[in-house]
Amino acid sequence: MHAATALSSAFRRTAARKRMVVLYWFTHTLCAAVAALPLLGLAIPQTAHSLYGDEMLRHFDLMYLAELVNAARDSAVGVGVMPGMLSILLAMLASVFLAGGAVKLLVRDDARYSPGEFWEGCGRYFWRFLRLALYSLFFYAIAFAVSGAINKAAVKLWGEGMVEAPLVHATWARQALLLLLLGFVSTAMDFAKVRLVADDSRRSLRACFGSVRLALRHIATVLPVWLGLGLVLALATWLYVAVANRVEAVSMGPILGLFLLQQFYVAARVWLRMMSWGAAAALDPVLRPPAPEPKPEPEPVVEAPPETPEPGPAAQEDFSI
Amino acid sequence: MSRIALLLLSSTLLAQPPEPPLAKPIANYDITAVLDAKTHTVTGHETVTWLNDSLDSVSSLQFHLYMNAFRNSRSTFFKESGGQLRGDQFKGDDWGWIRVNSMRLEGSADLTSAIRFIAPDDGNAEDRTVIEVPLPQSVRPGQSIRLTIDFTTRLPMIFARTGFHGDFHLVGQWFPKLGVWETAGFRYSTRGAWNCHQFHANSEFFANFGDYKVELTVPSRFVVGATGEQVRRVDSTSNQTSTYTFQQRSVTDFAWTTQPGFLRVERLFAADKETSFDDISAAARLHGISSDDARLSDVKMIALVQPEHREHIDRHFNGLRAALKWFGLYYGRYPYKSITVVDPPYGAGGAGGMEYPTFITAGTMYHLPPDALTLEMVTVHEFGHQFWMELVASNEFEESWLDEGFNTYSTGKIMDNVFGPSSLPIQVFDMNLWSLLKLPRITQESMDRAGHVSSPRRDDLVRRAWEYYDSSSYSLNSYMRTGVTLRTLEGLLGTPTMDRVMRAYHQRWRFRHPTSRDFQAVVNEVSGRNMDWFFDEFVFGNRALDYAVASVTCVRQRTPMGLFDKDSALSMVSRKDAEARDKKLDKDKSFKPDYLSTVKIARLGDAAAPVEIEIRFTDGHLERRQWDGAYRWAKFTFQRKAEVESVLIDPARKLQLDVSYANNSWKKKFNAPLSAHWGANVLFWLQNLLLTLTSIA
Repeated sequence: MHAATALSSAFRRTAARKRMVVLYWFTHTLCAAVAALPLLGLAIPQTAHSLYGDEMLRHFDLMYLAELVNAARDSAVGVGVMPGMLSILLAMLASVFLAGGAVKLLVRDDARYSPGEFWEGCGRYFWRFLRLALYSLFFYAIAFAVSGAINKAAVKLWGEGMVEAPLVHATWARQALLLLLLGFVSTAMDFAKVRLVADDSRRSLRACFGSVRLALRHIATVLPVWLGLGLVLALATWLYVAVANRVEAVSMGPILGLFLLQQFYVAARVWLRMMSWGAAAALDPVLRPPAPEPKPEPEPVVEAPPETPEPGPAAQEDFSI
Repeated sequence: MSRIALLLLSSTLLAQPPEPPLAKPIANYDITAVLDAKTHTVTGHETVTWLNDSLDSVSSLQFHLYMNAFRNSRSTFFKESGGQLRGDQFKGDDWGWIRVNSMRLEGSADLTSAIRFIAPDDGNAEDRTVIEVPLPQSVRPGQSIRLTIDFTTRLPMIFARTGFHGDFHLVGQWFPKLGVWETAGFRYSTRGAWNCHQFHANSEFFANFGDYKVELTVPSRFVVGATGEQVRRVDSTSNQTSTYTFQQRSVTDFAWTTQPGFLRVERLFAADKETSFDDISAAARLHGISSDDARLSDVKMIALVQPEHREHIDRHFNGLRAALKWFGLYYGRYPYKSITVVDPPYGAGGAGGMEYPTFITAGTMYHLPPDALTLEMVTVHEFGHQFWMELVASNEFEESWLDEGFNTYSTGKIMDNVFGPSSLPIQVFDMNLWSLLKLPRITQESMDRAGHVSSPRRDDLVRRAWEYYDSSSYSLNSYMRTGVTLRTLEGLLGTPTMDRVMRAYHQRWRFRHPTSRDFQAVVNEVSGRNMDWFFDEFVFGNRALDYAVASVTCVRQRTPMGLFDKDSALSMVSRKDAEARDKKLDKDKSFKPDYLSTVKIARLGDAAAPVEIEIRFTDGHLERRQWDGAYRWAKFTFQRKAEVESVLIDPARKLQLDVSYANNSWKKKFNAPLSAHWGANVLFWLQNLLLTLTSIA
């Protein structure tokens, strides 16, 4: 199976379970609202009855951010930091939780969706996936360490020089490599989730390392999947930016249109996330075929006992050996 | 050693007969210096002629040895800066220093052994940036003395405005330089004394005007740029060196740069082509001067640019052209013949954004996006110092706002008018995300006000530079807050008056050394108003200015009830009758009731300034009120057949020092689109942030 087939299968599997996409989108929206509401609670009362707000609807004034900083100087922790941290924590936990149900359903190459099965998967795999997420930090750290090492080497080579170009080019190369490494780790962790579900295993650590090995062995298949999804995301982003930059959002109609466009973009990102699990689910049986059934032990040939009188206890003992 | 000097006709200009000085020369320097590019050491011989222009007899001299600020970690500069300045960290062991090898008074004894280090600002015995030399005989009023000094200067790694990086050298604060003798009545002095401050982390410089002639010998492959005009170049084939002679009259300092790789580009600022007839006429009209006085002069512009910034050559010149034109039209023509802008190489950021007479350093970066105008801004700003540091030579140690702040104000005016708002360079893979996402561009005015609004007010605007709370407070007050303060003054006086004030101040104090009080006097004189309160509140103090709409109420007037005088008798309107009448009127759709509207404006800050208030009614009627802003609040009541639709304090945004524009207005109608738009955007960006973060889970 090559990447295109995997992506096509992933699309099919995700499309058959749109409710999961909606649920995942809704959860992220709720978590985002935890951080958004305090900020808006500070900004809206300041500006909604102000003529300055009218001005900023047309041309946002970055100076206003300075006013916000000034206004929230003493309450920055309450308004920004705490809700932000809480929002991230909730989103992380919710994401791990929902992934269990999603992967459980996506592993099956059919169109079935059962809320019961979904929630059962959420609960069943939560701790396994949480452990996996923690183990994955090790590989993400390696990706950043590699990037940091390249940066360090570039600075050592050219940092004391008088020309900036090599450093800038090295930075571009480093950014590209970091992106690829993060994509690789993320894809490997998708395979690990699928493995935990497919094998109904509790061995998160083994799944984590095994999947990294698997992804490395089959990098020519795995990476194109991630690149394909990345390309679609880049295209969606480009489309969003192109359209959003043209929307003159000064009245409710265009604002509603922009809001829908934004949420469509977010939903597209969620869809691609599901597809990355679906692609891993489609590829897993191919890249990691089930171990062949162990051949049954040949039946011991039991010779017919000689016609002897009923064996005594001693003879019976010999037979058991 | 045999030395064959080759006169290159192509690059040699014999000195023209000297033009008369623009300023009274107090301290003249004739220096010969040889750079050893391998050890980054300058060996110099200096003849300094000092005129005692005071009524005092002066018995000693004081010199700056600025380069000793980089001598060790115990210098005042290092103690204050902690080894980091303007984002640069001092690394390694490339310390800088200056040593006076000998000092001799012409026709008298050797003074070298009498030199002693002093620390007039902080008493730091380990600081070696100021020396005092007692003279065998006092210098009488009007008398000149001449000293010869041999010195050696070792440049530090590029750190704070001077030093070397690779084979790039920016040589500033490099020779023994006299302090300023301040006689009683000069600036703030009450008795004659030397003004010779140590080198501080948060400070720049102060010096007398003088004539400079400097001969610089460097390896021949090096390109040289310096203060003043190059009048001669002599190449020596025997030791592969070239000697450049630069001359400049009526300046306060001399700095130079050299690097083999510089691209040297020269262009002419042709005043008649750069300025239109209308430009000149408008300036002449505004300032009440003749067109000849308003006209600018031609200037030779020289750019020394790094090869990898070749694509930015035009941008350097665009900055210079805009600055020469508009500083000239606003404040008076640039009187020197040349201006050199230096583009330091990568890794020499500490050399960027610095000003010396007729010689400035800018700074750019590889692939700087065209809509990120930092290069133009820095070029205009550093050029602006020619007007506020050099021509009007205020004491930057003691009143940095008079240079940096005035220049921030002028730079903002020119940048916003000529180049418009800028994006910020946030580059990913050579794409500027700022432009890609169409984030709002920023004016200099906004940048300054954002700094003012978001930063705590820890200091008065005017303080001695090293005595601010910290380096952030020094920067905030010396640059941004001054910019906002002067814009507020402009708002209060009106732009034409402010333009006249600034030009009058500049012209009156050109080639002199003014103080803040001198500027205050010019403001009062030219505007014809007593603005002392403004200086007390915002310059010599630092009070917060914040006016807000406190409340707006509109009460529909009902039929009055109770006892009333009518035809010399008491008449009663009963509650029942009144309510019945009101009920009837409520049903009458053609009836327009009276409203009693009360608008309360509050002064939330501790500063007070006169303020204008605009009240708009639902029938389109507009009321304007003036308030002296003095008490804590003011109430305005109106009885009209319409409700208040909106209230706006300071509609022309004259009071830019006001820390909140959001509370300066009120409108009846809730702005639902704004709330929806911001809500949608904040939610959207947070959703994306969370999706990115949770992609690991």
